[in-house]
Amino acid sequence: MNVTNRKTNTTLIWVSAVVAAVVIAAVVAFATSGDDAPALSDGTVVTDASGIASASISETQPVTVVGTALPPLDDPANDPAVGMQAPVLDGFHFDGTPSVIDPADGPVMLVFLAHWCPHCNREVPRLLQWKATGAVPPELRVMAVTTAAAPDRDNYPPSEWMRNIQWPADWGVLADSAQRDAAVAYGVSGFPFFVIVGSDGLVKARDSGEKEITEIQSIVAAALAG
Amino acid sequence: MMRFTSLLAFVAGAGAIAIVVLRVMPTRGARAVLAGIYDGALWLAWLVAAVAMAGSLYFSESAGFIPCRYCWFQRIAMFSLVVVLFVGALRRDRDVRWYAVPLAGFGMVISIYHYIIEWHPQLEGGSCEVFAPCTTPYFREFGFVTLALMAMCGFAAILALLLLPRALPFEPDSAPLEDQS
Repeated sequence: MNVTNRKTNTTLIWVSAVVAAVVIAAVVAFATSGDDAPALSDGTVVTDASGIASASISETQPVTVVGTALPPLDDPANDPAVGMQAPVLDGFHFDGTPSVIDPADGPVMLVFLAHWCPHCNREVPRLLQWKATGAVPPELRVMAVTTAAAPDRDNYPPSEWMRNIQWPADWGVLADSAQRDAAVAYGVSGFPFFVIVGSDGLVKARDSGEKEITEIQSIVAAALAG
Repeated sequence: MMRFTSLLAFVAGAGAIAIVVLRVMPTRGARAVLAGIYDGALWLAWLVAAVAMAGSLYFSESAGFIPCRYCWFQRIAMFSLVVVLFVGALRRDRDVRWYAVPLAGFGMVISIYHYIIEWHPQLEGGSCEVFAPCTTPYFREFGFVTLALMAMCGFAAILALLLLPRALPFEPDSAPLEDQS
């Protein structure tokens, strides 16, 4: 056997071996895997202990935006949205209960959260700790807007995630639409995303990313004083 | 499909490790196996790159996973390797390694960093990008296999194949091993 033939044979052997490995992997994968990803849950019926349907859960809900959308946040220190009229969000909780964010109801801090975002998952405990210390100004409402729901990402579904992270019942929740209307209306540029709206309905501050409690407190204090 | 591609990544990663182990083994059998791999190394490397590219295109175009910034850097390297290695293998040009190894090395470095930030997202700052965050993998098959790890295995296999020595210390049989062109 000459050198060329030997090389051709060994190449064929190795390529055949790789092809065989691919085939074996395919067989093993299809024999052992289930569904890769759940579909976006829209209208899951939740039953109570007696088996009676109690609510219809939808991970995204329609949101009606009233007002002008804010520009996307680029630089929090030089945010053109500060001083603009905040849009009203008319939407729903996961279970279909109406959930409205209207600045006319008093100062509000919106926290845009994505269930799959690791930074949101690190930030929520800080917010809960902030609440536990009693340092949240009594006039300030805090509302979570769950957005960017993705069935193929971690912690789906967001309705269950909100329960697991123990988001306080007296802090509201609004489920964003599949088209992320609420996030777009407030110019969300990253998660977590904070917007503080004053009692006059004007945007006082926007910021993105993880914040320590002291940072949150100073942002809120400055916003409410301004 | 995730499990299938994860298993393929295992095959590629195991192949890369096997080549490294064989290289440090001083036995005649190890040299014989390496000599056999050496003969088909270019086509094998191309096959790894081509399968990786096919998997990448499946996840972006069929599964709907939007590639993040670091995914794109890795794609640039892997997709280029498919073309470069194909031409090199067709021409039996061993010198293609001078072009392919830097590409694979670049992709390997990016994929390692990408995999690290998937487990330590704070290294990339304090917020998630809205549409395609690099810190958040679409899945973790078997609890740890992500697209970045798959890419890393692919680049490792390609590097291991391309960095096989041109001349082995001794021949597995009487057949000469030159013709390294």
